[in-house]
Amino acid sequence: MLTFFFDRFSQALYALRDNRRRTLLSILGIAIGIAAVMAVGTISKGGNYLIFSELETFGLNSVWVFRDWEDKDPHRMVRQGSGIDNDDYQALTAGCCTAMRRISAVVHAPFGQRIIIQSVNRYSNARVQGVDVTLTAIANDVIIQGRPFRVRDIASRRAVAILGPTAAEDLFGAASSIGREFRIGNRKFTVIGVLEAKSRDFLASIGSSGGQDANNRILIPYTTLQQMLGHKQITFLQAEAVTQTQADAAAQQIIAVLQRHNGPNYAYKSETMATYITTTDRILSGVAMIGIIAASVSLLVGGMGIMNIMSTSVLERTREIGLRKAVGARRSDILLQFLLEAVVISTLGGIIGLILGTVASILLAEVTGFPLAPSFTVIIIALAVSVTVGIISGYLPARRAARLHPVEALRYE
Amino acid sequence: MIKLAAVNKSYRVGELVLPVLRDISLEVAAGEFVAIMGPSGSGKTTLLNIVGCLDSVDSGSYSLAGEAVGQAGDNDLARIRNAHIGFVFQLFNLIPRISALRNVELPMIYSGVPPAERCKRAMQALQRMGMADRAEHASNQLSGGQQQRVAIARALVNTPELLVADEPTGSLDSTTGREIMALFRELNQAGTTIVMVTHEEDIAAYAGRIIRLRDGVIVADERSAKSC
Repeated sequence: MLTFFFDRFSQALYALRDNRRRTLLSILGIAIGIAAVMAVGTISKGGNYLIFSELETFGLNSVWVFRDWEDKDPHRMVRQGSGIDNDDYQALTAGCCTAMRRISAVVHAPFGQRIIIQSVNRYSNARVQGVDVTLTAIANDVIIQGRPFRVRDIASRRAVAILGPTAAEDLFGAASSIGREFRIGNRKFTVIGVLEAKSRDFLASIGSSGGQDANNRILIPYTTLQQMLGHKQITFLQAEAVTQTQADAAAQQIIAVLQRHNGPNYAYKSETMATYITTTDRILSGVAMIGIIAASVSLLVGGMGIMNIMSTSVLERTREIGLRKAVGARRSDILLQFLLEAVVISTLGGIIGLILGTVASILLAEVTGFPLAPSFTVIIIALAVSVTVGIISGYLPARRAARLHPVEALRYE
Repeated sequence: MIKLAAVNKSYRVGELVLPVLRDISLEVAAGEFVAIMGPSGSGKTTLLNIVGCLDSVDSGSYSLAGEAVGQAGDNDLARIRNAHIGFVFQLFNLIPRISALRNVELPMIYSGVPPAERCKRAMQALQRMGMADRAEHASNQLSGGQQQRVAIARALVNTPELLVADEPTGSLDSTTGREIMALFRELNQAGTTIVMVTHEEDIAAYAGRIIRLRDGVIVADERSAKSC
């Protein structure tokens, strides 16, 4: 069996050596096609990776639940407040919802209310967020210095804060801020931790950074902020679903608890990261598809090049085909010989295309700043595609060769 | 060995059906050396193609070595040609730019002989034709007579019972032609049945039997007295 294949293979190779320049041109045609498809694929994958690494900074399983401020019911709309308070929150943390892993209250100062944040003669314009111990885990926040919130910080309404890197820089410069003190309004806080910088440059560049600068935040216990504001309301809830697919279920369960507690007084809405991910995914794969279709056209042209060279080759070697048949080649032998020729051309083209494509991807990644996402599957796909192109474009000429009548082929001038 | 009975063959040219062979019946025994002669268009090459299993008959029957091949399928014909028939052509039909040895190996590739054995047998065949020292030469670097010797080596390499030759000396000068015919006679004496088409009387004279065709009909079947 191995000998059989090797023989057919060497029969195919000699013909290619025989027509070196023509073979080279066909190889180049396929190579350019494969390289183009590959470069587009790698770049779109790189872009995808970049965007998802930024989406990840929100927590991929995140669910937000808040009062529906666009409610049309006038009886509900006259009511003040966020519709969520500490009693509701207690019910939610008591293991209410199977699709939810953890939940955090988030309290914001009322919109438009300016709070002065100051450390001696340095100031910060950071957003102050009152949160529970769970928030950093839900939102994929990493504490690079100091410690996270503890349950006792929340329970005793301690004046401790975790700073985003921008806030830390603004208040304390390059020096370490752990243990240092600063003021929010007229209350003195101690820094217990600093967050790692989050990159949302790309999302910000397309005008969507989630409404706030992730690095310019100051986290404090939500109980402390409530005390400062003088109420027991929670602005919104941020939860983490058990899995991305369970995000909607988690939101439903949370809303059900809130409805049960507050009856018909408020309407609630939710947003899930999963929705954004699906939408982003759809947009990105649409863009990638357009690119790949465009690049595939060059692959198609390459395939037509092979079909052309094979047709010429069959014509030129009609007498050889007749002779091979006379000495015992069956139709399948001839078919296989010419198919193999086409596949050898396209595979060589594929390999060269892979090299060209990798170089192009590296250059493009350099220019666009997208992270290069090299992948083994791309190599497999590129080779599979080039073999397929070879088979498809070699088939018709090979079939014509195989069907030649030996007498007529031998007589061909 | 060869048994043709009431064989008809015609070619279709557009609307026209041209009969080429009419009711040909012919028997050739094993070990014979037969020359087929006749003017162009008499059907001698068509008859040779049928004998060589390159073409099928329209009606009538053809059996080769006891096997009915008249209406056999493509793959069967390919197998029969490969195992039982060797071909020699006027224009040699070697594959250019590959070595003489590779050319001779070709029939064995299609019969699945392993590479080592293939090389050995091809060398032996070339040696028999006095071409062993040219085994590595590309076929288009050889003279006409040398090319025909390589072609004969290729025809013999699967040790066929029947050698079919279409104007084997047609592209050679007369001296080389006589050398090739001497080789044919040697092969025939060693037991190979030979059927050959020619239009040269002195070449036909090497054969022990001359069949003359005209308009698709056998008009004469002469056995020469000096069949030795």
